[in-house]
Formats: sequence, structure tokens, C-alpha cells
Amino acid sequence: MPYLTEKFGNASSVHMFGQEARAAIDRARRQVAALIGAHANEIVFTSGGTEANNLAIAGTCEALQSNGRHIITSAIEHPSVRGWVEAMEKDGWEVTRLPVYNDGIVRVEDVRAAIRPDTVLISVMMANNEIGTIQPVAEIGALLRDERARRQPHLCFHADAVQAAGRIPIDVETLSCDLLSLSAHKIYAPKGTGALYIRRGIRLTPQQVGGHQERERRAGTESVANIIAFGAAAELAREELSQRNDLTRRLRDRFENEVTQRIDDIVLNGDRDRRLPHLSNISFRFIEGEGLLIHLDMQGIAVSTGSACSSGTLEPSPVIKALGRNQELARGAIRFSFGKDNTDDEVDYAVDALAYAVGTLRKLSPLYQESVVAT
Amino acid sequence: MSYSDVFRDHLAHPRNAGELSGANALAEETNPVCGDRLRLSLRIRDGRIEAARFLAYGCPSTLACGSALAEMIEGMATDQALKLTKKDIVNSVGGLSTRKQHAAALAIETLRSAIGNSKVGITNGPNGLET
Repeated sequence: MPYLTEKFGNASSVHMFGQEARAAIDRARRQVAALIGAHANEIVFTSGGTEANNLAIAGTCEALQSNGRHIITSAIEHPSVRGWVEAMEKDGWEVTRLPVYNDGIVRVEDVRAAIRPDTVLISVMMANNEIGTIQPVAEIGALLRDERARRQPHLCFHADAVQAAGRIPIDVETLSCDLLSLSAHKIYAPKGTGALYIRRGIRLTPQQVGGHQERERRAGTESVANIIAFGAAAELAREELSQRNDLTRRLRDRFENEVTQRIDDIVLNGDRDRRLPHLSNISFRFIEGEGLLIHLDMQGIAVSTGSACSSGTLEPSPVIKALGRNQELARGAIRFSFGKDNTDDEVDYAVDALAYAVGTLRKLSPLYQESVVAT
Repeated sequence: MSYSDVFRDHLAHPRNAGELSGANALAEETNPVCGDRLRLSLRIRDGRIEAARFLAYGCPSTLACGSALAEMIEGMATDQALKLTKKDIVNSVGGLSTRKQHAAALAIETLRSAIGNSKVGITNGPNGLET
């Protein structure tokens, strides 16, 4: 990585070293823009997906608050959206949270019904990070396009595409969204970089000040090496999208088929068809997800759980709860994520390890013992 | 959250798991906030815990503390077992963060309930307890 060693210029500097870095960032900007069908100058680099989501919501609300103080969002947004929306609510904003029903998908009719004269921002993720369900973002975009033309020109539409980018095709024109968040590490670039697409003409108040970087929309020295890696990863993701999509879908489906055959008392979460190809979310009855996570980790398999236990309080995954699942199923939910480099052998290994771990934990579970006695 | 090797070993190879047949002391305690459950069945004779088994549902700390407790108390005099503290359980799993120490508290609470139950005498019940 020459940009970590001999090519160390600051992209804001006028001297040759700085301009070398500037040219490399501009190239990365074009590469990231191409992944989502945007113009290069509509891309603002950030420190990651969280900052992109924060900037989208805080920046839009601050810029548009004279038009109203109502936000529409979904019940399953990432914490970086959810948390900021909650902060706005504490500040007096009104929020409508759209339900996702038991399939994990927002309904466009609900969006239509939720729009009010004082609505300024709609933020609905492109695909959920825990269950992978793909939201009808293009349909919502079309609805908002009509609403803007008819009566509310200031309506702004943000889509968090952190989980979806590089997994399914994204075209901001087709989606008709105004803002779209991306994260570098979700497409195999280093952690610590992301981007926010900001459609030309959209008003957004910067949340970081103190520099002219990123066309004065995000002050701060650019992380040159990370941004360049992000650009390269975006180009690869675009070129290999179809191939990665086919591979992960096949591995994921095989995994789910085998798990369903070998392990009883499980519930697959999220719509079976309208979801990202690489994600599988399964609730295992009678046991709690983090124990399963540690078991699998000891076998070299990394999974994640959306629930968190601390200080004797439990916060089950809000996403799984939004599907209408009970506490036990929300606690027992695990996300399995498949990558471009996974193999069939690894799927077999994971299924074996999972079946063993579930069996071990259920032997300990009073809930399981009670169910056996009951049957 | 990181866990010690001892902690992980308890999870991978739970000690004394299950329900004890011929138990004469049983208790199950629940953390009312998070819903974690720990069930302990003991066979106590002449003031000594001859055998101990546990079942647990909940976060990994609850499972590991249950396993460590059941292993630790087998063969122990009940008087000595009653002197065990949350800190003893925390140490036995190689340490726990402050946020997870409620699991050790649940283990101690369940142990004391079980021994307490044995002292007051328990009739045969649906869980196979003997007096």
C-alpha cells in the first residue's frame, strides 16, 4: 500500500504529494459512484456507515426543519439510524415507525399513509442487516417522487444500503433516493471508511466543520489509503456482483436445507425470497444465541446475534421482535453470513458444528427438558 | 465481551449437567429482569453434598456459572457451601466483567435456596425429588 508509505501526501495540500493523493481519491470516488449509478461529485466519504447514516439524518433534519419536524422510518433500522432518530424524538421531532410484519418487509401503502404535511425525511434501509430482507426502496422512491411533484417538494428520502451494497444491484436513479449510505468493510475494504451519496441539489447541513474537504459537506482530512481501498473494492464488487451473488445464495440455501433437516425446533426469520443472498437468520428454540455464538467461535465459525445482555438486563434483537417473535425466539436468533470465499466444505463443517452445539446447549436447558417431558 | 479459557471450557464441556435422580434438594431461581434460569438438584447426606446437577437457560455467563458451581460443590459440606460467595463463582470461571456478575449472583442464590429447601424437607414432587 504505497499510500501508507511513500505516497503520504494530504489530499488537501497544493504540493505535488497532496495532488497525487487528491487524484487517487478522485479515482476512488468515481469507482464508488459507479457501484451505485451515481455521479462522482455526489459521493461524500465518511468514517463509515454509522457516520454516513448519522450525517444523512442529522444533516437533512437540520437543513429542512423549517418545513416540518416529522420523520418516517422503519422498525428494523440499524442502530446508527434508530439511535439518531430517537435523539431527534427527544428533541421534539415526531416519528412514525413503520411495521415490518412477520416477513420483515415494509409496505409501501404504510409509507403513503404515514406521510404528513410536516414530513421532511423518510429513512428506510435497502436491506436489513440481521435478517437480510430487501425493502421496497424503489417503490417508496417512486411514491415520494410523485408526492414531491404534487405537494411536498422538500420530502427527502434516505436509504441505508450498507448491508445491500455489493450484494445486489443498486442504482440510485432507479431507487429515486436522495441519500444512500455505504460502508467500505462490507465489501471487503478496510474498516473505518464509508460514504454517503447525496443527490445533486439536496440540502444537507454538515455535521463536522473545520475544513473544506468533501465539498464542505464533511470536514476532516481524508483517510487516503482506506478510501483508495474502498474504491478498488467497489470496482471489484461491481464486476463480481453476479458471481458472488450466485455463490453465496447457493451456499446459504444449502446451509439452510441441511440445518432444517438436522435440527428440530428452529424458525427461519425473514421473507424467504425477498432477502439478500448471503444472509440467513435462524432462531433456535430453548437456547440463547450468545452461548451458541461462543460454541461456534470455539470451532472457528464466526456468527452474530442481535441480542445483548448486560448487567442482568436483556435487550433482545429489536429486529426479531419486530417480526412478532416471542422473547425466547428473539433471544435464540443467530445471523449466519456467507462470503465470496466460503466453500461447500465450510458449509458442511458449519452445519456439523452447529448441530453439535445446539444439542449440547439444549441438554442444559430447562426449557428443552420441559418440552421433552410435555411431549 | 471476551471470556476466559476456563469460561469457554465450561461452555464447551459443561460439568454435572442434567437433573439428578434421587435428589433431596432442588431449587430453581430466575433473574426476573432478563429471564435467565438456573436449576440445581442436589443429593445431600450427613451434611455433605454427595452429588450436584444443574440446568440453565440464558446468557453464557449463567451457563458457565451453573457448570462451575455444580462441579465445585460436589463433595462439599453444606456449611462450607453456604459460605461460598459470588466472588468464588466469578473466580471459578476465570473472571467475569462487572456487567456479567449477575450470573454468579444467580448461582449463589440458587445454591442457598437448594440447601435451604433440603433443610425444611421436600416431598416427592413432579421433579422426582425425594425427602
